[in-house]
Amino acid sequence: MKKYRNFNFICGAVLTGFCLLIVLTGLIRTPYDTTAMSVADRLSAPSFAHWMGCDNYGRDILSRVMEGMRNTVWIALLTVAIGTLSGVVIGAVCGYFGGLLDDILMRVNDVLFSFPSILLALVIISLLGTGSLNVTLALGIAFIPSFARIVRSEVKKQSALEYVESARLMGAGHLRVIFVHILPNILPVLLSSVMIGFNNAVLAEAGLSYLGVGVQPPQASLGRMLSEAQSYLFTAPWYAIFPGLMIVLMVLGFALLAEGMTEA
Amino acid sequence: MKVYLRKAISMLLTLLAVSFIVFAAFEIIPGDAASSRLGSNATQASVEALRHEMGLDRPFLLRYFSWLGGCFRGNLGTSYSYHMPVAGMILEKIPITVTLTILSMLLTMAVSVPLALLSAKYANSRLDRAVYAGNQFLMAVPSFFLGILMTWVFGMVLRWFKPGGYVSYKKDFGAFLGYLILPSVAIAIPKCAMSVKLLRSAILSEANRDYVRTAYSRGLSTMEVLYRHVLKNALMPLITFWGMAVADMIAGSIVVEQVFNIPGLGRILLTSIANRDYPVVEAVILLIAAVVLLMNLLVDLLYRRIDPRLRAE
Repeated sequence: MKKYRNFNFICGAVLTGFCLLIVLTGLIRTPYDTTAMSVADRLSAPSFAHWMGCDNYGRDILSRVMEGMRNTVWIALLTVAIGTLSGVVIGAVCGYFGGLLDDILMRVNDVLFSFPSILLALVIISLLGTGSLNVTLALGIAFIPSFARIVRSEVKKQSALEYVESARLMGAGHLRVIFVHILPNILPVLLSSVMIGFNNAVLAEAGLSYLGVGVQPPQASLGRMLSEAQSYLFTAPWYAIFPGLMIVLMVLGFALLAEGMTEA
Repeated sequence: MKVYLRKAISMLLTLLAVSFIVFAAFEIIPGDAASSRLGSNATQASVEALRHEMGLDRPFLLRYFSWLGGCFRGNLGTSYSYHMPVAGMILEKIPITVTLTILSMLLTMAVSVPLALLSAKYANSRLDRAVYAGNQFLMAVPSFFLGILMTWVFGMVLRWFKPGGYVSYKKDFGAFLGYLILPSVAIAIPKCAMSVKLLRSAILSEANRDYVRTAYSRGLSTMEVLYRHVLKNALMPLITFWGMAVADMIAGSIVVEQVFNIPGLGRILLTSIANRDYPVVEAVILLIAAVVLLMNLLVDLLYRRIDPRLRAE
C-alpha cells in the first residue's frame, strides 16, 4: 500500500478513528445504561457526570449516542454489503455478456438510479414495514442500481482488453474470467464507490430514522434522537446538537478519507 | 426533431413500466386494504363486502388498466383513509413542494457559480482553500440537521421567524415564500457545496486546453476568457448534476418539510405510508417518477442545445 501523506487523508483518518473508538467503546460498555431513566436529570445540561447532557426521560445522551452510532454503522455496513454484492453480480453479468438481458436490466436500472435512494427506500419500507431490519434491506436494495451501473461500465471496458481474450483462449470459463480475471482489476474503482456508498448509507439511515421509519425505540438512533430533540430545542439545544454533530463527524471523516485515497 | 420525439416516446414507455411496477408491488404485499381497514376482528363477510365495494375482487390486470385509464383522465382513485379523491389531495400540495424545490435550485445556481469562478480564478489561494474546507464540511451535514440548527439559531435564539408558523400559499403568498426561505437554504447548502466543487475542478481542467491559450493570445482578459469560453464548457457536467439534484431536492424536501412543519408532498407521503393508504402512495410515487424522467429528458435536450457536436449525430 502506498502511504497517503496528504492533509485530507490524515484528517479523515483521525476523525474516522475517533468515531470508531466511540463505537468500539460503546460495544464494551457505555457510561450509563442506555434505557435507564432518571426524573431528576430530565433535560439536564452537559456536565461532568453527563458529558452530553440528558434527554427528556433523563437518559444519558452520550450513552445513547454511542448506541445510535453503533446501529448506524451496522446498518450502513450491511446496506453497502447488500448493494455491492448484488451490484457486482448484476453489473458484471450485464457488462460481460451484454445482449437483451443487459438492455432490459439497464433500462430498469437507469430509472431506479435516477430515483433518490431515500425515496426508493421509503417506497420499499412502505411495502415491507418499518424497523431496522427492513430499513437495512430497503436501503440495500435502493443502493444496488448505483453499484450495478459502475461495475457494468468498468467490466465492459475491461472485457474488451486483450488479457480477457487470452484468458478465454487458455480455456477459462466465463465465470472464472469475470470473477478471477476482471474483478481484481476494477477493485480500486469499486473501493472508492463503496466508501461513498457508506457515507450515503449513513446519511440515508439518519434521514429515515428521523422520519420515524428506521430503528424503533427503545433502541437508540441518531436520526430519531434528532426528531425527538426538536420538541425541546429551546430548553435543551444540546440534545439536538450532539447527535447531529456525530453524524457530521462520521460522514466528514469518511469523505476525507476517501478523498485522500483517490488523491494519492 | 425525430430524436426529440423518440426520446419523449421512450420516456412515456418508461413511465408506463414504472406505473406497472408500482401497482404490482403494492399488490404482492400480504393483507389487502379491505382487511387492514376493518381491523383484525372483522367478520369474513364484511371484509368480502368491502373488497367488493372497493373493487378489490376483480382480476389484477383489469384493476391495473382501470387505474391507468383513470390516471389519464386525472382520476387517481380514492384515498382509503380520507375518502377523498387522491388527485385533489395531491394537487393542493404540489405548489408547496414545487416552490421549495425551485427556491433551492435557484439558490444553488446563484451561489455556486460565482463561488466556483472565484475559487477557480484564485486557485490554491487562501480563499480557495477556505472555500474547499467549507465545501467538505457542508457536504457532510445532512439537510435536516441544518434545518434543525437553523430553527434553533434563527427561530429561537435570534427570533427572526416563528418556528412552525407556516402560512398557506392561498392565504398570503409573500408570507408563504418567506417561510420557505430557510427550508430551501437547508436543502440547497449540501447541493451547493457539491456544485462548487464540481464546477471548480471542471473550470481548472478546461483552463489548460488549447482554446484557452488561443483566446488569451487574441488579447482577451482573464474575465472574458473565463466567462465567454471556459464557463460554457465547464457548465456541461454541472447540468447533469443539477438535473439529478432536482430529484434529490424533492427527496430532501420530504425530510426537511418535517423539520419545518410544512404540509407538502412529503407530509402526505409519510402519513399515507403510515396509514397504508396505497392509492395516495402510488400517486405520489408516480408523480415523482414523472418529474424525474422529465428532468432527464430536459437535461438531454439542453445538452443538445448547448453542444452542437451532439446534434450532428
